[in-house]
Amino acid sequence: MAFVELIDIEKRFGRHTAVDSFSLRVEEGEFVSLLGGSGCGKTTTLRMIAGFETPTSGRILIKESDVVQMPPNRRGVGMVFQNYALFPNMTAGQNIGFGLKVAGRHPEERERRVGEMLALIHMEEFRDRYPHQMSGGQQQRVALARALAVHPSVLLLDEPLSALDAKIRMRLRAEIRAIQRKLAITTIYVTHDQEEALSISDRIVVMKDGRIEQVGTPFEIYNRPATAFVASFIGSSNLLHAIVLDPEQGKVAVDGQEIAAAGPLPGKPGQEVRLTIRPESIALNNGIPSNNHLKGTLANVIFLGSIVRLVINTGRSELLMDTFNNPHLALPALGSDVTVGFAPEACVPLEREREELLSPTERPASYVPPAAGD
Amino acid sequence: MRRKGWSWVWVALGTLYFFLPLVATFLFSLKGKKGVLSFIAYAHVFSDPQFVQTFTFSLEMAVVTILAALALMIPTAIWVHLRLPRARPLIEIFALLPFVIPPIVLVFGLIRMYSRPPLPLVTSPVLLVAGYVVLSFPYVFRAVDAGLRAIDLRMLTEAAQSLGARWGTTLFRVVLPNIRVSLLSAAFLTFSIVVGELTLAVMLAWPAFGPYMALVGRDLAYEPAALAIISFALTWGALVVMQLLSRGLRGPAATPGGVH
Repeated sequence: MAFVELIDIEKRFGRHTAVDSFSLRVEEGEFVSLLGGSGCGKTTTLRMIAGFETPTSGRILIKESDVVQMPPNRRGVGMVFQNYALFPNMTAGQNIGFGLKVAGRHPEERERRVGEMLALIHMEEFRDRYPHQMSGGQQQRVALARALAVHPSVLLLDEPLSALDAKIRMRLRAEIRAIQRKLAITTIYVTHDQEEALSISDRIVVMKDGRIEQVGTPFEIYNRPATAFVASFIGSSNLLHAIVLDPEQGKVAVDGQEIAAAGPLPGKPGQEVRLTIRPESIALNNGIPSNNHLKGTLANVIFLGSIVRLVINTGRSELLMDTFNNPHLALPALGSDVTVGFAPEACVPLEREREELLSPTERPASYVPPAAGD
Repeated sequence: MRRKGWSWVWVALGTLYFFLPLVATFLFSLKGKKGVLSFIAYAHVFSDPQFVQTFTFSLEMAVVTILAALALMIPTAIWVHLRLPRARPLIEIFALLPFVIPPIVLVFGLIRMYSRPPLPLVTSPVLLVAGYVVLSFPYVFRAVDAGLRAIDLRMLTEAAQSLGARWGTTLFRVVLPNIRVSLLSAAFLTFSIVVGELTLAVMLAWPAFGPYMALVGRDLAYEPAALAIISFALTWGALVVMQLLSRGLRGPAATPGGVH
């Protein structure tokens, strides 16, 4: 039984549809991230769960009861905001104890719980500090403790790290995850940062234009992206336009060169299909015969520190290839002919995008397979 | 250096411009007794039962006006901020009306409207307070609005609600304490408007401090100067109280990059 369930949620603001056909089940104790660019509807979805927005249609169930008509203060949902939202007139301790005070808990119990929460975030000595006397990272930890102090059934975090600098962000996200695991609290986390989502989540919901593009574990999302958007939004990837040669065998042609994907492909011979390959799955001049090979010319070399990125021109397509940097790395000269290889498993066919399904785009009228031995 | 020297000259001239009349008034107020400087004019003012009566009346009216204006304006400003940001231009226009419509027009309108049934309020202080609320509306609305802008109202109210707080708790424990300085300035502006107001009090025939000051100014010589200095001291006293009460209330935002 899902702990939090969103059923066919739609949210419209005037003519604009912010969230559309959104359905999701979150299990108890699970950490789910909503990931997408700005305006994709992720924050609106979170605000609907919190009760700050009302869905235009659809149902939201928390522990099997429909909360759509329930005001935010009765949902038992803890929320952490991007800009901390600590009450400036209260100390860290008072902020953490606010929810307990509102609930009419005994002062002694309140004090004990505030102490526990401060210990959880390792900030016992900050109890009497005001928000303006703390750094951003410290304020956000207090905000997290404040949200957790009232034992919410669900914890919602709305881009909690995006106002912090990179180092603090990395440390705090590990801390958030550790606390979430320790308390086993069902958590929904909104972020636009793919690395954050990949590193922290049990599952990721990738969103675009108010709809879900893909739901999966970080491993699935990264390695088996369902759509071109997911492939390009998460990490770097090559998007190749290929023509299906043999759908059963997974054979396709990219710029006239034949390669194979690991499994059967959608479509019929002659149809266009899109494939994605991660740059780190491609290697230069590897002679493994079972691998796919593509010929091209080396167009550019980009030094990225631990990684060196090669840009290879295969005709119509441009292929990115990553290799680890090492001091003895010998790369071919720019403009020279190179052959790259990759495993069939690295070739991931993509679903057609929604807009493509809605309106047929131009397809190649005819396709002549390359002659044998070509 | 030369430019700096000139700026000091301008500061000195400005200071003289503001303080000379004040010093002159003060000195004049001390000349109640021929040949010596004395506080006799002040003694006259304080011993006049009318001073105490009118000042107390105006003080009471000021307190009621402040409470009424805040009770009206705080929910309105919060509503505009959270739910109706598009209504802001309309409210801004309303807030300009008391400047455009002279109090004499306002008071004749009030008398005409409320001197007969169904609301014969012309003899009730309610009408005076209502008029004062209209006069103080621009100041109160702007002060409260500025206070709400300085905090992230939406986020703070949402944070309070997600922690289980109802609207009343959110308002009294979170919103109001964080706009305390603005509320104080709204209160003191209203106070000074009400205490010095003349037209409404005269036309509605109330024994207020404004008409009393006008009367004293017409009939006596040194006492009006003493009254001016007393009013000035009251204003400064109010400012000092505002500073003292607002002390300890810190700004909401932390400087990023502190000790992490």
